[in-house]
Amino acid sequence: METARGVRRLAAVDEAARALGLFAGQKAADAAALVPELDSAEAEPAADLAALEALADWCVRFSPAVAPDAPDGLLLDVEGVSHLWGGEGALMADFRHRLGQGGIGVRLALADTPGAAWALAHHGVDGTIAAVGEQAPLLAPLPPAALRLEPQAAAQIERLGLKRLGQLMKIPRAPLGRRFGAATLMRLDQALGRAREALAFRRPATPWFARLAFAEPISAPEDMGRVSRDILEALCARLDDAGQGARRFEMAFHRVDGQAPSLSVGLAFPGRDARRLARLFAPKLETVDPGFGIEVVTLSALDVEPLAGRQTSLRQSPSRSSSSGLSRGSMHTGDAEGTSALLRFPGASVFMDPRDKPEDDGRKDEVFQWDLIDEAELAPLVDRLANRLGEERVWKSAAFESHVPELASIRAPPLAGAPHGGWDPDLPRPLRLFRRPEAIEVTAPVPDDPPIQFRWRGRVHRVSRSEGPERIAEEWWKAALSAASPAHVRDYYRVEDQEGGRFWVFRAGLYEAGQPARWWLHGLFG
Amino acid sequence: MSDFRAGRLDAVRAKVAALEAGGRGDCGSLPFGDARIDARLPGGGLPLGRWHEVTGEGMEAETAAAPAAFAALLAAPLVRRGWAVWVLRRDDLHAPGLEGLGFPPERLIQVCARDDAEALGVMEDALASTGVAVVLGEVGAVDLTAGRRLQLACEKAAATGLVIRRNPFGAGSGGKAHGSAAVARWRVAAAPSAPEANLYGEVVGLGAPRWRVELEYCRGGRPGAWLFERRPFEEDIDGTHPLRLVAELGDRQLAPPQPVRAAG
Repeated sequence: METARGVRRLAAVDEAARALGLFAGQKAADAAALVPELDSAEAEPAADLAALEALADWCVRFSPAVAPDAPDGLLLDVEGVSHLWGGEGALMADFRHRLGQGGIGVRLALADTPGAAWALAHHGVDGTIAAVGEQAPLLAPLPPAALRLEPQAAAQIERLGLKRLGQLMKIPRAPLGRRFGAATLMRLDQALGRAREALAFRRPATPWFARLAFAEPISAPEDMGRVSRDILEALCARLDDAGQGARRFEMAFHRVDGQAPSLSVGLAFPGRDARRLARLFAPKLETVDPGFGIEVVTLSALDVEPLAGRQTSLRQSPSRSSSSGLSRGSMHTGDAEGTSALLRFPGASVFMDPRDKPEDDGRKDEVFQWDLIDEAELAPLVDRLANRLGEERVWKSAAFESHVPELASIRAPPLAGAPHGGWDPDLPRPLRLFRRPEAIEVTAPVPDDPPIQFRWRGRVHRVSRSEGPERIAEEWWKAALSAASPAHVRDYYRVEDQEGGRFWVFRAGLYEAGQPARWWLHGLFG
Repeated sequence: MSDFRAGRLDAVRAKVAALEAGGRGDCGSLPFGDARIDARLPGGGLPLGRWHEVTGEGMEAETAAAPAAFAALLAAPLVRRGWAVWVLRRDDLHAPGLEGLGFPPERLIQVCARDDAEALGVMEDALASTGVAVVLGEVGAVDLTAGRRLQLACEKAAATGLVIRRNPFGAGSGGKAHGSAAVARWRVAAAPSAPEANLYGEVVGLGAPRWRVELEYCRGGRPGAWLFERRPFEEDIDGTHPLRLVAELGDRQLAPPQPVRAAG
């Protein structure tokens, strides 16, 4: 039940109510007159939308491209995935069966265009599958409302005696557009595939999608580890063939009860190394609750970019030479036992193959050639750390255009190639900068002089040398002009105490007679 | 000593070094460029492919400013060979300050760990990764097992580790570690700088930062104490070590003054 323009109306009715002659949009008073014992509840559009989106997420098991069509529809792009079920009919039957298990009654239709599928599902025969290019005859007997028009527009078309879309299709385009407006023409074109239609897919449609279904639901941790490796290998092989790599992988575990917890792994550089990715997923698999079992695992690769240069490991044939020990040079040879060597040359990044080199092997060959420092070779480490600790805990400092000390350094993604430098080398900045300056008690001969003695954390430091002041004002242009004041300044001094400790202290504000100066310690130079 | 004897001795020394390194050659060393310290270090310089411990005293156990500055300058020449990773517990490392010291922050990846165990795990992972030349970590204490693991990780990719002993939140006492697996332990304290007089004969401001550095322990080397200064930036071009040795200090000079009590 909903309230529209001050009138209580029925928002939706169930089968039993429909049999009693009630319909959506009926006034509540009329309905109550017809059926006094009517059991009604308040409509919750937000909850309906959330449920629809949850259903859309669930539908990802059928297709990676799902668009919720509020208030009660779902559009699935099944191009190229229906063969996984053995045809469109089988896909539709499975879809209907699974939704039915969840207690959801549906009307399904499959057509070339979203418009035609919508029209057939809402006004045509349930379960229609339009053959490619054959929707016009199927659409012809449908009413104009099937075009997803405004109710008034559809009603007007019907008032003019055009009860069937077939009649509408026969009218020449120009008079049709003039008479009924561009919207009608556009909807008709969209339904017939003459105009494009953009759908807001719930997830970005990625062709890089893999799916593994199991005859029996799985739940053992080792099984989950194995299937995650298998599905990664399947998708990475495809990425490899296409010369692509992805920066984000999302793995969804579809449980028997319809829930689909998902995991994602991000990479600093596009990658497609299935083993590496499996290692990144492995610690996260524990967090997936398999419930009563997982029947389908899907994996999609996002942010796919061309990835040139294969990541290969070049192995030298085991050397049987008598040289024992290790030799160093541009090439690093293995020792007499024949462990493999690692070559490194510009333009290629080399990764060790873990099959040959177990992790606990303490006798791994090391790499000595430092000529080339490639950012890509650091990517595995950065990815491991970022996925283990969280992306916000791994960073590279980058300069930010601000003269306020605590804002001058920002966190940049470790391998984003952010512009570096840019700090003024002539301005002394401490090695340790406290997030909050600490209050100190200062003895200064005159308020404008550097301190001669200060007490910090309970210890008295006698200043032997000092440098400054460097006056740093607030960024007045960032706040309201009324809040700005010339008194919001800090006079920074670099001071050294008798033992050599170097501190960065500042006096806040301008000198005012009768006001004791406030001093703070902001950093340590070390 | 006869040549024969010297030769034999050298051969035995090499054998012992090879045994200590677990069957692999040593990863070289990085000379400071001053015989007063290089002569005391095994291989004539800072041993690479191992991990070192850098500690401070007093307040430095909590803030670790001077040890961090010294460690950054120890690591600065290594950054030319690969990446640096700095594992923090408390995010107060200021990149402009690092650049001011002469350490390139654009080659540094910072990682903030939640506790000591995680910090050590990250250090281990980073040390064993290709492309990483030096890993600095701020850790409260390294026990023998963790130290041994760090050493194995160092050997994997010939990276050098620098553990800066620090309890950033003031908990625990930064006491001396007994039987550490580190190759060397450096105790660092800030020392008063010596600014030069300007044209008018006045001494204004602060000079280049100085540190009193005590090598408390070094495998294959001899302990000592020195006064280091950040070398002027003009001299950095020709690949010199950024640390300049100012003076060698007497061994006893750094010992904390013992209160003398008259007997009776």
